[in-house]
Amino acid sequence: MRFSLLLYALYAALRVASKTHKGFRHFIRKARVKILIKTAAGEPARLFIFDQGRISSLPGDHADYDAALVWKDAAAGFSVMTSRKKDAVFNAAARGDLKVLGMSVYAMWFQEAIDQLM
Amino acid sequence: MSQITGGHLVAKYLKEIEGVEAVFTLSGAHIENILDGLNEFGIRSVDVRHEQAASMMAHAWSLYTGKPGVCLVTAGPGFTNALTGIANAFLDNAPLVVLCGRHPLRDDLKGALQEMNQIDMVKSVVKWSATCHDIKRIPEYLSIAFRQAVEGRPGPVFLELPPDILSIAVDLKSVDIPKRRTLKTSVTPVKEDLKAAAKLIDQAKRPLLIGGSGVGFSECGKQVAAFAEKTGIPFALLNNGRGALPDSHPRSINDGGFTAVMAALPQVDLVIIVGLRLNWVMESGQTFPDAKVVRIDIDPTEIDRNRTSDVGLAGDAGQILDLLTPMVASKDRSQWEKDLRAAYGAFLVTEREQRETPSYPIHPNRLVAQIQKVVGEDAYYVVDGGDTSYYGSAGFSSIHKAGVTAPASSLLGCIGTGVPFALAAKIAHPNKPVILLNGDGSFGFNGMEFDTAVRLNIPIVCVVNNDCAWGMIKHAQEMSIGPERCTCSELGTRHYEKMVEALGGYGEFVEKDEDIVPALKRAIESGKPACVNVMTDCTAVSPATVVFYQTLSDF
Ligand SMILES: Cc1ncc(C[n+]2csc(CCOP(=O)(O)OP(=O)(O)O)c2C)c(N)n1
Repeated sequence: MRFSLLLYALYAALRVASKTHKGFRHFIRKARVKILIKTAAGEPARLFIFDQGRISSLPGDHADYDAALVWKDAAAGFSVMTSRKKDAVFNAAARGDLKVLGMSVYAMWFQEAIDQLM
Repeated sequence: MSQITGGHLVAKYLKEIEGVEAVFTLSGAHIENILDGLNEFGIRSVDVRHEQAASMMAHAWSLYTGKPGVCLVTAGPGFTNALTGIANAFLDNAPLVVLCGRHPLRDDLKGALQEMNQIDMVKSVVKWSATCHDIKRIPEYLSIAFRQAVEGRPGPVFLELPPDILSIAVDLKSVDIPKRRTLKTSVTPVKEDLKAAAKLIDQAKRPLLIGGSGVGFSECGKQVAAFAEKTGIPFALLNNGRGALPDSHPRSINDGGFTAVMAALPQVDLVIIVGLRLNWVMESGQTFPDAKVVRIDIDPTEIDRNRTSDVGLAGDAGQILDLLTPMVASKDRSQWEKDLRAAYGAFLVTEREQRETPSYPIHPNRLVAQIQKVVGEDAYYVVDGGDTSYYGSAGFSSIHKAGVTAPASSLLGCIGTGVPFALAAKIAHPNKPVILLNGDGSFGFNGMEFDTAVRLNIPIVCVVNNDCAWGMIKHAQEMSIGPERCTCSELGTRHYEKMVEALGGYGEFVEKDEDIVPALKRAIESGKPACVNVMTDCTAVSPATVVFYQTLSDF
């Protein structure tokens, strides 16, 4: 539940930033990228759609992503995504708590986009 | 009195002093006497169908043999055709000696056949250029040319030889011929800087060594191994440094390719950059803003380019590692290495699945994996194209120096380099399989060199990754101007294998996964220059295209 709320809150924050945050707006202005974030069990899940500066989102699991960040479980996803540590995602991947499906370069792009907001 | 012509004098010097085995060329009246001299002195002339291939093959020769490549082209159009290959060698820091015909000195400014100011045109893409005006000074000019090509940071050089000095004769005794081949010289850093580097290395918890072409040209695989084994530091060897140690070396992270480097760099606390320029491919060093940097480069001007180094060590990579290794502490960094491998592995799940899973249409990652399975690591792989360069560099692995090259992904980004590079690889290593993975667009540039392959019996096997498009450009256009507005980026289904067959080679056309392996085996067994034309998934986009698109659209 906490994780699904977090995903929704992330969507809301990204949407606001896409209107108000100059650096972030610049970063996402040309990309057409679909990022899915989910747990290995498939729920909770949310698709984030970046379309040349506009951001929308759909709850639930979807197959048409460019990259999917798959967390071992909701707790792992929650703790890493709320961590402020620079190497949290890397360490999660090293521990086996995170797998990236699809084209990982888009996952790195997504991470960079989030970093703009930090 | 023994007389010698200028052209023969060129060949004599090449053979007897520099030990040149092969010259890559296309004939022309202006250079006829040199061609004759090559025969006279037993130098192999590899004659191609377009001078671009000659300069590219000579460039590639330097990677595969460690010796400067020599290319001989005629005046005017021979020169301009060779120019792209010269520029490519320049941006690659490859020692290429270009010998070029010229209109006669006698006819300067008269409107002579093929008269043009070649020197001014070539200047910006060579380390050194000159015109020899005196037959007796030919050896001296050649000696300067070779020295300039190999000394310090290697690169191409250009020497014009006009027919008025090539076809006349001179008494051999009156010519001063240098006694030995040119020496490579280098400088080494001062002790304080070496100590400072050793201190940073000892303190580092998450260090990474990245080696580039400088490692290849310095031929210092052994030194990299000794350093990595003592310090426990994982490494990636890129560009023409790839294969200085086998991809399978236990410290190497080349199995993760580009993804491994991209995943590692933001996490490292120290990067040791050896013989590698921090250019756009390395995002100018911006991906590791907080890491300390030790740079080792033969060119002192590279040390702080785009990213200030904490310690800069200018000099030959191998010599510096020889000095540095005894100064650093022996450490167990296996946990860091394990974490790194697990982390980039997590990013490669899909790519690895694609390699293992048959699909229709065939995914390029699968094609690469199937080729690798059949051919193995004891082979030379060349990849050419846009997306194709990514798939091949990421998927192939070899135990040989320059065993996997992707000339199109170097700084000039010049596609069409594949056939010439593969031919040079096979001439340099005739007993090893040479596999070229070529994008269908890129194949078109030098595909006619399959005639050279057939004529000279150079049995390379070219697998065309055929997506019926200039794939990287098409996919970048889909991202930028939209799929419905793609322009000049589609190609049709073309039977390149039939073209190769028509030239006297062997051809196969493949559409299904299960046919890849048998077709490839038959192509290899044919013993002929061969083309296996494989239809692949035209919707597959490589990460290189995404990065390429982002770089070019970030305005
Ligand atoms: C000589 C040259 N011309 C044009 C380009 C621009 N370019 C870069 S990638 C590419 C498409 C390559 O297509 P293909 O060889 O079919 O490989 P794919 O991307 O489909 O794998 C083009 C045209 C270039 N880099 N070099």
